[in-house]
Amino acid sequence: MRRDLGRRIYGYLVSAAFALFLFSPILWTLSTSLKQPTEMFQWPPVIVREPSAQHYTAIIADKDFSSALINSIVVSCSTIILTMALSIPAAFGISHLQKTAMRRLLTLVLALRAAPAMIYIIPYFLFFRQVHLVDTKIALIIVNTMFAVPLAIWYLSAFFDQVPREIEEAAMIDGASTLQTMTLISIPIAKSGIIATAILIFIGSWNEFLFALTLTRDDAKTAAVAILNFIPFEGTDWGKAAAACVLMLVPIVVFVPFVKKYVAGPTTTGSVKG
Amino acid sequence: MASSRPKVSSALITPAIGFLCLATLVPIAAVVALSFGDFNIAFPEKTRFIGLYNYARFLSDGRFINAALVTFILVVVPVVLQLLCGLALAIALKEKLVGTRWMRAAFLLPSVVPPAVGGIVWKLFLIPGVGGLSYLASLFGHNFEADLLGSKTSALISVIIVSIWFGVPIVALLLLSSLDSIPDEIYEAANLDGASWAQAQWHISIPLVLPAMGAVAVFQALEVLGIFPVIFVLTGGGPAGATEPLNFYAFLNAFTYLDLDYSAAILVAFTTTIVGVCFWSISQISATRVGR
Repeated sequence: MRRDLGRRIYGYLVSAAFALFLFSPILWTLSTSLKQPTEMFQWPPVIVREPSAQHYTAIIADKDFSSALINSIVVSCSTIILTMALSIPAAFGISHLQKTAMRRLLTLVLALRAAPAMIYIIPYFLFFRQVHLVDTKIALIIVNTMFAVPLAIWYLSAFFDQVPREIEEAAMIDGASTLQTMTLISIPIAKSGIIATAILIFIGSWNEFLFALTLTRDDAKTAAVAILNFIPFEGTDWGKAAAACVLMLVPIVVFVPFVKKYVAGPTTTGSVKG
Repeated sequence: MASSRPKVSSALITPAIGFLCLATLVPIAAVVALSFGDFNIAFPEKTRFIGLYNYARFLSDGRFINAALVTFILVVVPVVLQLLCGLALAIALKEKLVGTRWMRAAFLLPSVVPPAVGGIVWKLFLIPGVGGLSYLASLFGHNFEADLLGSKTSALISVIIVSIWFGVPIVALLLLSSLDSIPDEIYEAANLDGASWAQAQWHISIPLVLPAMGAVAVFQALEVLGIFPVIFVLTGGGPAGATEPLNFYAFLNAFTYLDLDYSAAILVAFTTTIVGVCFWSISQISATRVGR
């Protein structure tokens, strides 16, 4: 094949430009989180000279933020469990329906999720206030589950579609009930897809801001909201805010490589597989 | 066995679908009802029906009209630019050049950053004089100390850029997988016919991903105002409402001014418009596909 210079010039130039645009804000935050206070406001600005972990130790020692981090973990993991408990059976059932019924249900599921999250803040706030669940993790878990279930059903039903029907039918012929077939045969086979879905639910719940902002006060505040406390009013000392951002990004950076294919959303994965 | 299957299936499906309907349709019905009422959170028992009064308030509310305009700008401009930038990036990443492979793995990061974190990251990057942008400018020998979030136009542009930052990776990922599915033989044939790389991109890649772009645009239009947390952290809707879209204005009405019924009316109008336009576009797109 003829080598084309244009291909390389374009490829390197555009990749470099986007690398700069996409990563420099994050790298700047990383460097700020490691800076001594004196370095933070040097002119001209510098990348960190003598890295220091002081901001990290400070935010870990901060009771409000560390309890918010724990809240984030508890809420995210509970959301995974509740979402899975609802979505795995539903997705298994949908995957075994006839084609038209299946498509109709999946469209319904997605349509229910089309409205922007903002429309739900007032009714959920009023409802949870009425039942005295404002500022509890339970309220956040319920809301996050509501947002996670449609996505989970979409992904999981696609994963259950890939389980060979012959194996399931063989189990049925051997006398297994539908429930046994699902738990003993299909779930183990679809395991890697289920884990990927769990990661996606975790990320969604970990990142959730709007309801954590409106439905919590102190006790149930999650890290995505508690992080705002570190924004300095007077424009000094951004070290803690930066360190908190980096901590928030750790699970994301660890998990995302496993779900790279799916982050674009369920509607698109079907057409994208090709 | 075959006859018992549908029954078993519905027992499996009903809890999730039931929960979903309950958790979405009831709240939406409640918001719609609230938008037709005069509601005071301190005296909920005094709530009364006032018809379209809250909607009529739009017409005399300059801040609402401004927010509607900002909403339009913050949906259309970022989506168009996300598509163009995403296409440019996807074409570059498709080439798998030595030294850009790590980009193929890492470019998604901004789109999965928690939005509030993204807001802080950008605020930090844009601090006048000492932020990352000033640092980059100083590398090129420029002294850049402007406060981009301080004036109306530059604040709006900043929010648009952050919105592109969040959206480009997803768009590029979608277009990249659509590009990757084009068979290599097509490019080889073009090459044999003497087409340059640039010509091959213009005449093969772009026309073949174009159909995917319509769906991606609709998808992004629904997502793009999810940058609410970014606006909340970065500009707070200011200066002077320059970056205040309807969802932000509705949020303020509900939780700062406690004008919940008016907020509900804004949200109903906002949601119906955006969902309506998106569904209409989807039906247009699928109609042209069927027609072909």
